[in-house]
Amino acid sequence: MSHPQRAAAFTSDAERTTWHDETLWFVRQKRDKAAYGVPEFQQLRQLASDIKEHTLSRLDEYLEQFERNARANGVQVHWAADADEHNRIVLSIIKAAGASSIVKSKSMLTEECHLNPYLQQHGIAVVDTDLGERIVQLREEAPSHLVLPAIHLKKEDVGETFHQHLGTPKGEKDPQNLTEAARLHLREKFLIGQVAISGVNFAVAETGAVVVCTNEGNADLGVNLAQVHIACMGMEKLIPRTADLGVFTRLLARSATGQPVTTYTSHFSQPAPGRQMHIVIVDNGRTRQLGRPDFRNSLKCIRCGACMNTCPVYRRSGGHSYNFTVPGPIGAILSPNIDLHKHSTLPFASTLCGSCTDVCPVKIDIHNQLYKWRQLIAQSNALPLGKKLGMKLLSWGLARPGLYRLGGKVAREGLRLLPRGLSHAAALNPWAKARELPEPPAQSFREWYQQTVTQ
Amino acid sequence: MSSRETILAAVRANRPAPTSLPGVVDFEGEATVERFTEWLHFIGGQVVQLAPEQPLEDVVRQLYPEAQRIASNLIPASVPVDGQTAIPVLEAVELAVLAGEFGVAENGAVWVPEANMLHRALPMIAQHLVLMLSRQRIVANMHQAYAQVGHTGAYGVFIAGPSKTADIEQSLVIGAHGARSLTVLLR
Amino acid sequence: MKVGLFIPCYVDQFFPQVGIATYQLLEKLGVRADFPGQQTCCGQPMANTGCERDAVPVYQHFVRTFQDYDYVVAPSGSCVHHVRKHYDIVEQSGAVQHVRTATYDLFDFITQVLGVTELTGRFPHQVGLHLSCHGQRGLHQANESEMTPVRDGQLSRLLRSIDGLELTELTRNDECCGFGGTFCVTEEAVSARMGHDRVHDHLRNGTQVLTGGDMSCLMHLQGLVRRQQLPMRVLHAAEILNEALQTTVVPAAIGAEQVVAAEQQVTD
Repeated sequence: MSHPQRAAAFTSDAERTTWHDETLWFVRQKRDKAAYGVPEFQQLRQLASDIKEHTLSRLDEYLEQFERNARANGVQVHWAADADEHNRIVLSIIKAAGASSIVKSKSMLTEECHLNPYLQQHGIAVVDTDLGERIVQLREEAPSHLVLPAIHLKKEDVGETFHQHLGTPKGEKDPQNLTEAARLHLREKFLIGQVAISGVNFAVAETGAVVVCTNEGNADLGVNLAQVHIACMGMEKLIPRTADLGVFTRLLARSATGQPVTTYTSHFSQPAPGRQMHIVIVDNGRTRQLGRPDFRNSLKCIRCGACMNTCPVYRRSGGHSYNFTVPGPIGAILSPNIDLHKHSTLPFASTLCGSCTDVCPVKIDIHNQLYKWRQLIAQSNALPLGKKLGMKLLSWGLARPGLYRLGGKVAREGLRLLPRGLSHAAALNPWAKARELPEPPAQSFREWYQQTVTQ
Repeated sequence: MSSRETILAAVRANRPAPTSLPGVVDFEGEATVERFTEWLHFIGGQVVQLAPEQPLEDVVRQLYPEAQRIASNLIPASVPVDGQTAIPVLEAVELAVLAGEFGVAENGAVWVPEANMLHRALPMIAQHLVLMLSRQRIVANMHQAYAQVGHTGAYGVFIAGPSKTADIEQSLVIGAHGARSLTVLLR
Repeated sequence: MKVGLFIPCYVDQFFPQVGIATYQLLEKLGVRADFPGQQTCCGQPMANTGCERDAVPVYQHFVRTFQDYDYVVAPSGSCVHHVRKHYDIVEQSGAVQHVRTATYDLFDFITQVLGVTELTGRFPHQVGLHLSCHGQRGLHQANESEMTPVRDGQLSRLLRSIDGLELTELTRNDECCGFGGTFCVTEEAVSARMGHDRVHDHLRNGTQVLTGGDMSCLMHLQGLVRRQQLPMRVLHAAEILNEALQTTVVPAAIGAEQVVAAEQQVTD
């Protein structure tokens, strides 16, 4: 299925679409308020972008520096070229620890690598401990948002899921009570988790530390109770200095949810005595993206989700309509790098309104990249044939004024003469499903001009 | 070639033209107790100002009269905790009373290094958390905060308010996995 | 000052009254614009679909058509934005560079080139302004809600200067309408839903006349307004300003019927 088909299915529930749109718009408004409240917000965005730009330009050196410092801290560093290798490494660490169950805090990278199903196939029980992640895990769904994984669900849906899996009373839908049930349920898991996996928000080259930002405290709770901590990170998470965290922590939560900072900003650089810490650095297409000058900017992403909250298309089509680990505008520019043909409709799931670019805390020119991916998709023969030929024909005609004048007249006269039942047939003309066509005037502007002005 | 070498070689081949690293910024701003208090309230925490001679223990007892199992290195504790404390013991802690190093006025965060935690999991596993902070130790923003921290150490956390989530319908719920409440005592 | 009028393809064929209003408004402001008849399109429809290479001959034709003018003026921020931003893929000859910088949206031209920031006229209606995203975020014609809570822009100032005209305060000031070029048919469901939400924001907040600087957005919104039979008229801002500035020009032929009809509706 393409994005338009999945989006149409989502919008067919008008009431839920309204709810989804308004809920995320509310988050966007909170973001606005937080951004307006910091006079230097726009300077911070530029700084963040520049720091990332610099880091990418010397990424090999920073990776080596980071690795060196992490090793000196007693951390074991692993490198994974792709998702498979990442999963194999994680499994081998878990097996070496003799563990059969693990807890995992939020990590889009492990989603990207499809770690959960892999571990489960190998007999490891995985518990996602972020509340939203746990909800979608119990429902066997993918997260629909970077920061708000269960935002596609209503409290009634969550209530039903918890009733089935956690034994909450049938019909219980109060978020407070449901969260309390999840707290009790997950505490049990934290206490027995032998291995804890976390994501990484930032990796500091000069210290070898990884920084994890959460609101729930689940990453810290999991990691600090387990014998083994595995931090999985995409290689683009590097920043040079501890001081750079000042810039990024000021932007991340404000952009994501409008909070001034996440509840827990946790810095891990050495395992507690007697315990282990591993860091898995993953490529999985990132070096390829780094080699695309038009698109490497996307590697600056700090996964705040602001582009989703602001995107008028995302808000009305839902995260699952993108069918990619990272949905929304940022997903639409990351996914073609992974599989251009499979994700060929995503860069077109946008009006190019540019709001994503304007909220992006690291100034990724998302809408420009959408435009550029469209060009590559067309050049790679990934456009529907009709569209492709149509555009060729249109270009041919529009370079020929005589033909253009004739074509315009034919279109206008045609619309005048066609019976409404035909011109507005939804099957033939998607425009007309919800909209009237313009009423064709008797005369074009150029005809008026010729008669009125040039006479 | 190992994946490490393959990845680094690909980065070298594909990295963009060098750009310079921006200098470290400050942006100044108000480093006041008022601003810190306002933000901590906003994010669900509370600030209690202590009189100069007021005994810490009394204040804690007043604030958390129900708490029986208290872990602390600042007041007499009923649950001794160190890095080796067993998980079930930690899990039963109702209240942890620990020292914060400094607070951040722009967001209500408090820096808590590992050395102040007794056990790394204690600030999160305790049902309630009290952080003791000097009024003199408030910085304006996160730039100043990191300048103050210098090296983040083996483990250290900025804690900003109680644990929270809004994962169900964006309804804010305080007390997700970590502490259900956070009180900062200012002296 | 030699000014070439660029009337986007769909405006030429389906909204001639917008072209006429543009022409007449400029005339009232002392600019006699010329409409070179060999013009076609800016090439945006192909480029936004991913076929900008196919559009190169169209770009070249546009440049040939307009290279001898001091300014190119169009009642469409979107087309102007396309010329300015995306004509970077053809060889940057002197003519191309000139056309890219000399092409102006009508209201940018009025405020920035003519220096007219206030108008004297009357239009006693509540008007809802919908700026196109290409105009708003691309050409920076108005403040963006992503950056600042202050709602301000050159077209809203022009409109506010008109006697009796009251501008609607929207719940969402600058959200996209969902037109998006071919998006409006390839993503029909989301497009229509976005347009629906936009129109109803205006309706809830009292808009009687919905206007903007881009007929493409307005065509889409008008399509929804007419299908849902909402009590709202849709006019390009050039039509409003042209009408407000007490017309002395007698519109001729059939094109005038529509202008007159619009005026009658407005004054009813």
